This record gives sequence, C-alpha cells and structure tokens, in this order.
Amino acid sequence: MNIDVSRVIKSSPYSILLIVFCILILGLISLFSVAESRSLGDSNAFLRQIIFLGPAVLLMFLFMIIPKKLIHEYVYIFYGVIILFVMLPYFSAQVADTHRWIDIGLPFSLQPSEIAKLVIILTLARYLSDRKIELDHFGAILIPFIIAFIPALIVLNQPDLGTAIVMMSPVIPMLYWVGARPFHLFLVIAPLLSIVTAFDVSVFTSWSLVMALIIFLSKPQLWNGIAIFFFNIFLGLIFPLFWNGFLRPYHRNRILTSINPELDPLGSGYQVIQSKTALGSGGFFGKGWGEGTQTQLKFLPVQESDFIVSVIGEELGFLAILFMLTLFLYLILKILYLAFHSSDRFSGLVLIGISTIFLSHVFVNCSMASGMIPVKGLPLPFVSYGGSFLLSSFIMIGIAINFSREENY
Amino acid sequence: MLKSPNIASKARLWVFYVFVVLVHFLIVARFFKIQILDNEKYTKRAQSNYVRALSLPAPRGLILDRNGKIIVDNYPTYVLYAIGAEIKNKNKNYAIISKTTGIDTSILIKNYKNNYRSRFLPTRIAKDLTIEQLSKLEEEKNNLSGIIYKQFPERIYHPKVKATHALGYLKEVDQSMIDNLKTAKYSYGDLVGWAGIEKQYESSLRGEKGVSYYQVDAFGREAGPVETYSDLLSQPGGDINTTIDLDLQLLVEDIYKDKKGAVIVSKPNTGEVLVYVSSPDYNPDLFTGLVSSADWQTVVSDPNRPLLNRASNGLYPPGSIYKMIVAIELLEKKLIDKNWTSFCKGEYEFYDRAHKCWDKNGHGTVNVESAIAQSCDVFFYEAIQKVRLDELEKRSMDFSHGVPTNIDLPSEMKGKVPNRKYMNKLHGRYGWSTGAMLNISIGQGEILVTPIQMAAYTNILATRGVSKNLHLVKPKNPHTDKSILVSSKTWDIIHNSMREVVYGKKGTGKLSDPNIPGVIVSGKTGTAENPHGETHAWYIGFANYNNDDIISVVVLVENGGGGGSVASPIARKIFKKYNQNINYNIAIKQ
Repeated sequence: MNIDVSRVIKSSPYSILLIVFCILILGLISLFSVAESRSLGDSNAFLRQIIFLGPAVLLMFLFMIIPKKLIHEYVYIFYGVIILFVMLPYFSAQVADTHRWIDIGLPFSLQPSEIAKLVIILTLARYLSDRKIELDHFGAILIPFIIAFIPALIVLNQPDLGTAIVMMSPVIPMLYWVGARPFHLFLVIAPLLSIVTAFDVSVFTSWSLVMALIIFLSKPQLWNGIAIFFFNIFLGLIFPLFWNGFLRPYHRNRILTSINPELDPLGSGYQVIQSKTALGSGGFFGKGWGEGTQTQLKFLPVQESDFIVSVIGEELGFLAILFMLTLFLYLILKILYLAFHSSDRFSGLVLIGISTIFLSHVFVNCSMASGMIPVKGLPLPFVSYGGSFLLSSFIMIGIAINFSREENY
Repeated sequence: MLKSPNIASKARLWVFYVFVVLVHFLIVARFFKIQILDNEKYTKRAQSNYVRALSLPAPRGLILDRNGKIIVDNYPTYVLYAIGAEIKNKNKNYAIISKTTGIDTSILIKNYKNNYRSRFLPTRIAKDLTIEQLSKLEEEKNNLSGIIYKQFPERIYHPKVKATHALGYLKEVDQSMIDNLKTAKYSYGDLVGWAGIEKQYESSLRGEKGVSYYQVDAFGREAGPVETYSDLLSQPGGDINTTIDLDLQLLVEDIYKDKKGAVIVSKPNTGEVLVYVSSPDYNPDLFTGLVSSADWQTVVSDPNRPLLNRASNGLYPPGSIYKMIVAIELLEKKLIDKNWTSFCKGEYEFYDRAHKCWDKNGHGTVNVESAIAQSCDVFFYEAIQKVRLDELEKRSMDFSHGVPTNIDLPSEMKGKVPNRKYMNKLHGRYGWSTGAMLNISIGQGEILVTPIQMAAYTNILATRGVSKNLHLVKPKNPHTDKSILVSSKTWDIIHNSMREVVYGKKGTGKLSDPNIPGVIVSGKTGTAENPHGETHAWYIGFANYNNDDIISVVVLVENGGGGGSVASPIARKIFKKYNQNINYNIAIKQ
C-alpha cells in the first residue's frame, strides 16, 4: 500500500481546514479569556487545549492519508473493540459521579464514547453500503438502529443522555441518504414524537391529527395504518406513567427546568439563567474580550466546555456568534456537498454521518446555552475545552477530507 | 464493497441542505432574541448579579466649645467581622477573640446571630475595638481564619466633661426607627443623634454617606472595584461651635459630682449658654458602644434618674426666686409703691390659718426692697391679696414662666403657672380661695418651673426686660427675642433689691458674692418646699463684669437645703471662675 502524499495534499478540500482553523481560533480566544480569570491553582483549560491540539492535528493528518480500504475492511472489529471500551469506565474510578471517563495514567482522561460516535458512523456506512439492502422493507432498517443503539444504551446508563442522543442521530439521515422510504423513517420517529407530545393534551391532539394525515397519505394497508396509529396513541398515553415511575429524577429535572428555568434557580435552571444572562448582557458587540462580568466573576458555570458559547456571546457579542454559526453552517454544508460528490456509497454515508454529528453538537450545545432545550453536557466542536472530543472532531475532519477525494481502487 | 456506487439523489441532498440551514437559522434567531431583543433585561440582571454597593460612613461633625476646644470628637475604632464560609473553627476563634479583647464569647455569638445575612458576607461580631485590642488580635491572625476588621469613625466624648444632657447621644438605627424616620438616608446600623445637640443639629452633623461599589463573584466574595461605577466619597458632617465654655462647664460638673440638680450659666445680652449641667448624668457612650444590659438596667433603675434632663425637663417649684415677678406686678400696677410696708412677726394669719415666714423670728417692718433682700414671706402674703391671679399669670409668662424658652434642644417642659381656670379645674369652682394665692406669692403651690426657664427669667431681669432666645449653638427662633415693658423705676427697685440680696447686711445671698472689685452681683435665693423631702436650693443672679459683659447664673440643688447656704456658694465659684477666665484671656491677648 503506497500512499502518494503529494496527491493527497493536492486533492484535499482545504476550505474545510480553513474553516476549522477559524473556529478553533475563536475557541482558543475564549478559552484564554476564561483561563485568565482563573486565579489560582485551577486547571488551565487554554493550555491543556493547546497541548491536546498537537496530537489532534497529527491524528487528523494520519486519518487523512490512511487508505479508505483499510478502515472499510476492519470497521466491524473496531465496532466490537469500541463497545468493550465504552463499557470499560464501569470498571474504573468514577469521575464527577459518572462513568464517562477512562483513566489512562496520563494527566488526561479519555472518553471512549467520543470515539464511539465515529465508529458507529463507519459501521453504519459499511453495513448500508455493503449489500443491496431491500430498503423497501421496513425490517431492513432495524439493523442500523440496533448498531447505534447498543453503544448508546451503554452510554445512556453511564449516564450520558446527550452522547446517547448524538450516537443515535446519524441513523435516520444515513438511512434516508441511501434511499429508505420516508414513511418507514416516520414509523420510527413517530413513537418518539408521541412520547414527547404526550405531556400536553392539545399538542398531543394536534400530533395525532398530523400522524393520521401522514398515515392516510402514505396509503398503507388499512389494518396496518390503524395499528400504527393506535400503537402511537397508546404510547403517548402510557409514557407519562413511565416518566414518573422509571426516569431518574436528575433527568426529569433537566428536562423540566428547560421548559421553565426560573422554576429552579439554583439547580440546573441556575445554569441556564446564568448562561442566558451572560449571553443577553453581551449584546451585539459584546463587552470586550476578558471583560465579561458573568464569565470573569464565575457566575457562568462550566464556561470552558458546555457554556463556552456564552463566553463568546458575552465578551464578543452576537456578531461573533453569527460569525461562528456561519462557519459551522459552511462546514456542514461543505461536508454534505462532498458526500454527494464522493466516489462511492461508503464514503458518502460516512460524510453524512460526520455532518450529522457536527450538526447535532452545534444544535444541542447552542440550544442548551440559550435555554431552548434541556441542559445536556455536549461540547461545541473545536471550541469547547475537552480533549477526547477535540481528538475525535479532528479525526472526523481527517476522515472527511480523506473520503471526499476521488480515488481509484 | 467500496465500489458500490454513490446513489444519493440530488433531491435528498437538498432536503439535507434545507434542514441544516433551518437548524442554524433557528439557533441564530434564538441568540438574536436573547442578545439583541432582550439585551436590556439581561444587562440589568447581569449587574444585579455582581455589583454590590457598600456605604461609606461619613464622620460626624465635631462639637466644639465657644473657644474652639473639642468636646465631642470622632475616634477611629475598629469593627470586627466574621465571614462564615471562611471560618474553620468558630468556637476556637471566638475563644481567642474573647481572650485577647475581653469581649464575652456569648456576646460574639449573639452578635453573629443577629447580624448574619450570608455565609459569604462579613458579619459584624464586635465593634468599638481599640487599636490596642486590634494589635493583640493581629498577633493571633494565623489562628483567626475568616475574621476581618474595618475602621469606623466612632463618637468619642471629652474624657472629663460630660454635659451629656446638652450634647445628647447617638443611637444605632434599628428597623423601627427606619420606619419612623421615613427617610432613605438611614439604614440599619447607622448612628443617629437621639438627644441634645446631637439630635437638634443632626442634619448638619451627619454629613453624607458615601457609596463604594465593588463586585462580587458567584460565591459572594469580594472581587475588586467595579470600573464602570465610580465611588461616591462620603462628606464629613459640619462641625458645630457651641456657646459652652468648657472650663466653666468642667468646674460646675466637678461641683455637682455628688449633687443632684442643674446649673445654667448664660449671657443675658445674647442668650448664649455657657454652662449646661444636669446632674446626675450618664455616659453618652452608653447608647452607642457595646451596652451590656446590666449597665443599661443600672442607669434606668437608678432612683436618681440620671436620664432625666433636669435643666430643661425637670419641674420644680421656684420658691422665693419667683418673688420679683410678684413685686413687679405690684409695682407696675401701682398696687403698692416703694414705701408700702408690711410688718413681719414670723407668720401671717389669714382667716383661720397661720402662714409662716421662713424666718420664724420675723423681719419686722419691711418694704418691697428689704422684703426681696431678706426674702420675707409675710410681705408677699399680704401684698398678693391685691393681685389678680390671671394678671399675675400674664406677668409670669412675660418672664418666661409657663412658656417654653425655645432653647435649641429637642425637648423641654413648659412648666405651670396657674390661672383661675386652672385652679377651678384643679380644686373645683369654690374649692380654692385667696389663701392659695398666698402660697403662689412665694413660688410654692401650683407653680412649677424648669431651671432653663429660670435662666431666661434671670436674663430678662439682668437686661431690664430684654429677652434673648437662649441657645447652645444658635438661636432656634430669633423672633422670640422681645422687650418686656416695665418702667425703669420698677427696674431700679428690683435691681436694688437684688443687689441687697448679695450685699445687704441681712441679704440671703451673701455667700454668692465673689468679692471681686468692680464686679457687681445681683441675685436672689430660693428654698423651695416640695413633697419629695428636703427643700430644693435655688439661686438666680447675674454679675456685671464690664459694661456689656454680664453673665447670669441659675443654680438648683435638688433636695439640697437652703438657697442661701447651699446654692449661693456655688454661684460664687462660677462668678469667680468666670473672672479668672476673663483675666486669662486678657493675658493671652497681651
């Protein structure tokens, strides 16, 4: 296997690297501001991020040139291994009362679940491109769900709801990409929506009507249609019981305070209020770099990772937020574009998966910081401090560049 | 199977595009709402998050005597605070503080509990710490985590001179006061003038508090100044120049160390008060410092009533010092003349009752001058029968009886001068007769006065009818200055009589003569019977040092005995001391 490095460099989409570089700089600027305010002893997120950048960029270049074939061939083995790794934290010391981290004897810990996201995408891509799947049959789309669901379930129990959701997020886009019938995907999503809407009678009623309409327009067999409809109604009715009986109060709180953060100003709602206060007081131009009172005086919680966007919003203003989101939009659209133009189905699917991961991180992180959705500990790609996710983000960029090249095998 | 072709449709790609753009649009819209539309709301919230205002105490103005000597000063004391979150071992800390400063642990614990607001905010546990106490604490600093101190300008009073009843005291503002004062200028823990000059001149003494803005972090810990808010420095209160003469005040306070009563020394020509003594008094620190309830109880339950301002609020029968008013009424209404006489055999029989003269041997034949000089009662028993009570009341009120003096103090009693209506009300329409007038003629019975009223009265006598508003700082109401119309013939008689009191062979006030060449003293003694035991000794008088330099003296010794033997010598000491001061001042000038 000989790698023609010069050809690799020549044919890579550099705009992606440029975009990533810009986002990265924005993140480092904010991290530096946060680090400045940490007076004593605390870990310096800025420095650690810098230290992590070295291996991350190295890995990106490595994945830019690794032969696609190699990855394609061993992906199922990776999948097996990563499931083992995801389970590993159960056997090591707990960090922050959860099982997310593995202590690898280095000054940093690694989160295998971050790498798992990528492996799930690769596995799904391999599965969906491997055979001529009869996607017309509903049963055929169940396997991809199971592929993502196994690691997601393990992560969910750690407990890390955010990561679990991100792990599940590529499945539907990837299925849709390879031609799954929208109605089948609807059948999968419908129960979820039935559950979510079950908490409000009027919302649930409108959802039922929409559902009935979709089922009617899709013209399934009569009894199937009726069965699907009533199964969903039944789910919506039974779920509130499950909610009160089975969910951890910690999850319940997170979801509830998102609906009304003022309910619980010192619990998880406190974080949202402080984050919104930081963002809102930033205004259009921000208070100036290092001048954010909410940031510098520590009113803003977990500011170096989950709420880094609030630091940017407070100190650099809406303008910077707009700039950052434009960069992300461009990055994601670019990856989608590359997916469409990739030479084979496997590559296209992987690129779709990667863009989904980035999109869900951006969406969840920003919506959480602005109080649109419950507080979920999800980092913002290339901006938030967090070694494992930074590594996996760069690896994904490496793979995206790698897989978008025209190659002849 | 890498060769499986890319089968994605363009339509589906566009679905992805649109979806991604929509998601980004949603996020941007949300940030726009928070950052631009709700910017004002969140800016306010951000500020209330971290900006704290700390009020800076304004040093009160000083209170000075007439020569610029400091009577009331400010003294830097230290206030001790504990920060709950930073204290490692509260009991150990308290034990150390208690040992080094002598403040009882229970007081520290009580203060902490009373003043506590937050674990992260400094809570006051002790105040009025001296620099000595502080330096001892400083040595233990390493064992005192979470204990801090701040300087506070505390009121300090002259070590020797008290003059408490004139100066007043400060009180710490509590919630009920904030409600009552209805002004935003005071907040909990501030000091407010609560009596005397401190209260009367509160607005100029107080100054304006400053504000220091500082920021706190999310844990309520101080995190430096706020750059966008500039501090407002406190404005010290204005100094007050009183008319008090510290040397004289000191002398009188010394005389009254174990006496009850009051002394007012003033200048009749201006109304300035040189000495204001009400004895016993109390330590003004009692209310501002660390008051133990035991100390407080001692003062409140003291049978000598040290909290009573006798000079302005103590009511006493004037006794014989009232006689000049009766004499003026008699002379002015021409009910008697200078030569009208009465024979005193030691008592006077009025219907079935014998009214006694103070000298049971009798004064023989007396006219108005000798009656005043010897304080003969019988003369007045007889003459008063010519007087109408309501006319006497009017005359008395001209001479500051039964009306407030308007001295610049927060409170005074206006005393009592009876009239027919009052007597009817008190005794019933037919329950009293001219016999009651006999008592009133010698300043006994229903008539009650305060020493400060007697000072105003004496000043009118001294100036031949010019009434000047008495004051410790400045006249409260200069319009109350007035001239009392009395003929100069009458004034001559009154002044002659009063000189005879001091210099006459049989004068009752001989002991008030300072025996200073060129200084002429006029006076009158009084020995007031009262239901509380021993008679009150009165002396009123004035000394003419120069053409214009006149001082008047009012001496009251509660239950002291005779005015001539007890009160007069006190007046003499004052007259003498004042002369020394004049000479001293002249010497200095030369």
